[in-house]
Amino acid sequence: MIEMFQEWYENRHEYAREWKKKNPDGKVLGYFCTYVPEEILYGANVLPVRILGSHEPQNVTEPHIFGMFCPFCRDCLAQGLEGRYDYLDGIMIAQSCLHIRQAFTSWHLHIPVPFSYYLPMPHHVQSPRAYTFLTEELKVFKKAVEDWTGRRITDADLDRGIEIMNRSRRLMKQAFETRKADNPPMTGLEAMYMSVSNQWIDKEEHSNILEIVLEKDLPGRDVGKSDVPRLILLGSEDDDTAFVKMAEDCGSVFVIDDHCTGTRYFWNEVQPREDRLAAIAARYVDRPACPTKDWPRRSRLDHVLELAQDWNVAGAVVIQQKFCDPHELDIPPQRKNLGENDIPSLFLELDVTVPIGQFRIRVEAFLEMLSQEDLF
Amino acid sequence: MLTAGIDIGAKTIEIVILDDGKIAFQNLTVAGYDVRESLKKAWEDIEAQSGIKLDGIKKIVATGAGRKDTIYASDTITEVSAAAKGALALNRDIRTVVDVGAEEGRAIKVDSAGKVMDFAINEKCAAGAGAFTEAMARALEVPLEELGPLSLQSTQAVPMNAQCAVFAESELVTLVHNKTPKPDMARAIHDAIADRIVSMVRRVGLEEKVMLIGGVARNIGFVTSLKRDLETEVIVPEDCEYVGAYGAALAAAGK
Amino acid sequence: MAKYPTEPLKLWNKAKEIRETFYRNYAEAHDKGGIRWAGGAWTFDAVPAGLGEDVYSLTSEPYGASLAFNRKLSLECLEATENAGWSRDLCSYMRNYWGSIIINKYAFGGPFPKPDFIWQDHICCSHAKWYQVVSELEGGIPMWCVDVAAGGCEPFMGLSPARIDYVAGQLLDGIDWLEKTTSRRFNDELYIEACWNDFRSTHKWAEICLLNQAVPAPLDEKSMYSLYVLATLQKSWKVIADFYEELYKEVEDRVKRGIAAVGNEKYRVISDTQPPWGFLKVFRYLEKFGCVSIGSLYTFGLEGMWNYTEEGQMIPRAMPDHKPKDREEATRMLVDWHLHKPEYQHFYSPKFKSDFMTAIANDWKLDGIMLHYNRGCEGLSLGIAENRLALQKAGYPVMTFEGNMGDEREFDEARTMQRIDAFMETLGAEQLEE
Repeated sequence: MIEMFQEWYENRHEYAREWKKKNPDGKVLGYFCTYVPEEILYGANVLPVRILGSHEPQNVTEPHIFGMFCPFCRDCLAQGLEGRYDYLDGIMIAQSCLHIRQAFTSWHLHIPVPFSYYLPMPHHVQSPRAYTFLTEELKVFKKAVEDWTGRRITDADLDRGIEIMNRSRRLMKQAFETRKADNPPMTGLEAMYMSVSNQWIDKEEHSNILEIVLEKDLPGRDVGKSDVPRLILLGSEDDDTAFVKMAEDCGSVFVIDDHCTGTRYFWNEVQPREDRLAAIAARYVDRPACPTKDWPRRSRLDHVLELAQDWNVAGAVVIQQKFCDPHELDIPPQRKNLGENDIPSLFLELDVTVPIGQFRIRVEAFLEMLSQEDLF
Repeated sequence: MLTAGIDIGAKTIEIVILDDGKIAFQNLTVAGYDVRESLKKAWEDIEAQSGIKLDGIKKIVATGAGRKDTIYASDTITEVSAAAKGALALNRDIRTVVDVGAEEGRAIKVDSAGKVMDFAINEKCAAGAGAFTEAMARALEVPLEELGPLSLQSTQAVPMNAQCAVFAESELVTLVHNKTPKPDMARAIHDAIADRIVSMVRRVGLEEKVMLIGGVARNIGFVTSLKRDLETEVIVPEDCEYVGAYGAALAAAGK
Repeated sequence: MAKYPTEPLKLWNKAKEIRETFYRNYAEAHDKGGIRWAGGAWTFDAVPAGLGEDVYSLTSEPYGASLAFNRKLSLECLEATENAGWSRDLCSYMRNYWGSIIINKYAFGGPFPKPDFIWQDHICCSHAKWYQVVSELEGGIPMWCVDVAAGGCEPFMGLSPARIDYVAGQLLDGIDWLEKTTSRRFNDELYIEACWNDFRSTHKWAEICLLNQAVPAPLDEKSMYSLYVLATLQKSWKVIADFYEELYKEVEDRVKRGIAAVGNEKYRVISDTQPPWGFLKVFRYLEKFGCVSIGSLYTFGLEGMWNYTEEGQMIPRAMPDHKPKDREEATRMLVDWHLHKPEYQHFYSPKFKSDFMTAIANDWKLDGIMLHYNRGCEGLSLGIAENRLALQKAGYPVMTFEGNMGDEREFDEARTMQRIDAFMETLGAEQLEE
């Protein structure tokens, strides 16, 4: 059943169209950032789908987004301009970085959708003021969704939305915990299919399959990765499956990650409390931070190091989208911190398509270097 | 009355001479390090081949990157205006001019009166035109003039990054190592440049009819990729490299 | 023979002196027993003013621009930053600033003076992180940063009480933090005065920019940079609020007498985003065509305070009708005032900035707009491609040129001049006789 995730990854639009047919009263909302509070959307019977690019060269975004912004945000906008997401009933973004924000604002200006929402997700998540602020903003957002869908979202709906999201997070974390094993039962590529598909498949359906995979597929599964360097994948948004496959084919395995199509998306749960919106707000304020929100203290340093150590990695592959300012501001201290804790790192700059051959050389050299540690 | 236009480009210098507004003679010279020397030689060649003397020309207007470097012209206009003038004189229905030379690509929007409404010039990211093709031809060990026809033999499209010329060259190395057939790589190169040029055309907005001028218009591979990408007919005039100089000559003739 | 009479600005030297005093005060703060802090041009500088009358600051962006203006020193700073492992496409002000610390050279002479604390704002991706690195470079400096990304203002978005509470709450918490960090008692009276001067400076600057609607324009953008910068340095300083009142009178007088900034003014344009600081000659080049840049949303609205009316006009925001009576009221008024800043609005949609720019184009009687696609600042270049489309749709010719406000290696002078030539041709402008 684990192949299901790859199938979902490769057929996102077909899935969404099918979902709409099966749920004629339902709505599909495209979202641009993982700070979007999906609990409220599930509570409203809306299917949230993360908008990602397609890793193809394109020539349609030049009039809309200045070329110095990251290729990922331009790739996302291109999908909209090329009509691939024409089934969307709405779009939204939760405030994070400036680059992806332009994909949203240009989409809003040029691709008509009935519902469009900008959620001012606070950046100062290390301040207690962020909790109150976000809770108030979620009240406004909830009202906007009610107006859009034409039905009230009750506490019971929110509880349902919270449980759908929490269940998915629990199961994803469980699945990722299995990769701590000396012989991880899945490859990094399979984990990527699992976590990216999670961002555009109905969560309940995804969780149902994931439960079966956890119960039946993974126990005792051998993917032949017991004796290769274990790696952590760090960085900007990344769903470059071609890259991950190549790196693992060179003789390695990604056992954990910190990027926003990976663990940053599902890491922590909503802690239930009477005020459901406050509970949801707290979850998003407390989650592993995007660099734009990781200040004044660098909380990501400890978090990433803990992941790397708990999953017993030998090295880190740092992938940064070209021009990604937030990660460029974090990567030097991250690499330094990892290095001081005996975890060497390989830094690579990604575009929407990558020079696989050139990257293979670098990955192979890095893996050789890591293997030398064993020899000496 | 004789007037002339000189287009001093990065690689070549074109001179067009008009007699009462009609093309009397054209000359193309390689632009050497010393532009004055190159121009001096060009005028000597023109006199030898056509009998037209420099001092018989009433007015000369220069255009191109090196337009301010010449003592011969009494006036200058930019490549943008020159291309617009020249293109419209050749075909009054042209509304979008795409000018691709060695180092720059330009997209120019004109109205029916020949007025430049908007223009875009390729920038740091997605820069690279003719010079890029030359570098790629060298990498493939194919003579430049054969690269275009070779690409027409391609049987499949191989995507190549269209944003950054440096990244694209890296990808070509990968394709070579993967033993991708040369015609497919040749096509990938032209598709990549065409993609960057089309990105730029979209900035000014595509309006038919479209004319392609400049030295790179001689490359049948590029023209094919461009037509495919734009999904529209593209007119390539016979003397595509001379259109800028022609426009400057028209400006000299007060047209 | 010039078309209009010209005169140098009488207050030019005073502006220079104020600026020099500001930078000297920061460097010599400790010698006078005072304290000093560093933070951004959008930080709430009125707040640390409540710590006493001997509190001096260094403002990041204008300091970065000062470095960029000195091309030789700038290159040293940029290379030092790159050698320290930082990426070249990061904010160029920030890279210049870090480099200045790394090579320990203050742009105004001597070693780089370390701040006692950091008091910063956060709107773009870099602001807070900028000072995170500054603190790390200096071995640790106490830092407080206020997130101002709380949504846009009317008529574009609604500034709800919750949004004001969020920013005001961070400032009030910050005041407690300042007391602990500096061991000084916060003086609410000084604070209220500083807030009031902040309102005065930014209101008056907008009124001065409004005077540029006159034909001929009494000020040109290149000169305006040296004048608006004072508000970026310390808008809550009484000296600057007073200066702008004096300046307003002088510029108003210039308008009455028809004094032009550029004697052969024939074409009026605005630019936008910061200019390439190492190449301000671009503005002198425009004058050869009788073309003058009379400002930008950047010069008008980075520090100037405006309203955008329902009728599509940009008008100076009226001063509050009363002085705040206590700390809480001062803080809420300060936040409300600042969140109406025009240069914040495009962080929520490029359309809001396009509306402002179209208003300028209409009311300041423009012939065209020149957009600097500034690789050095993702915050102000945010949405610039959409601004271009919107301005063209509104019927204005727009030219673009790529460059970098603080990294001269990314500015191609010859190519930019060529683009200007082509743009002037489209406007019908010819190079005038010398």
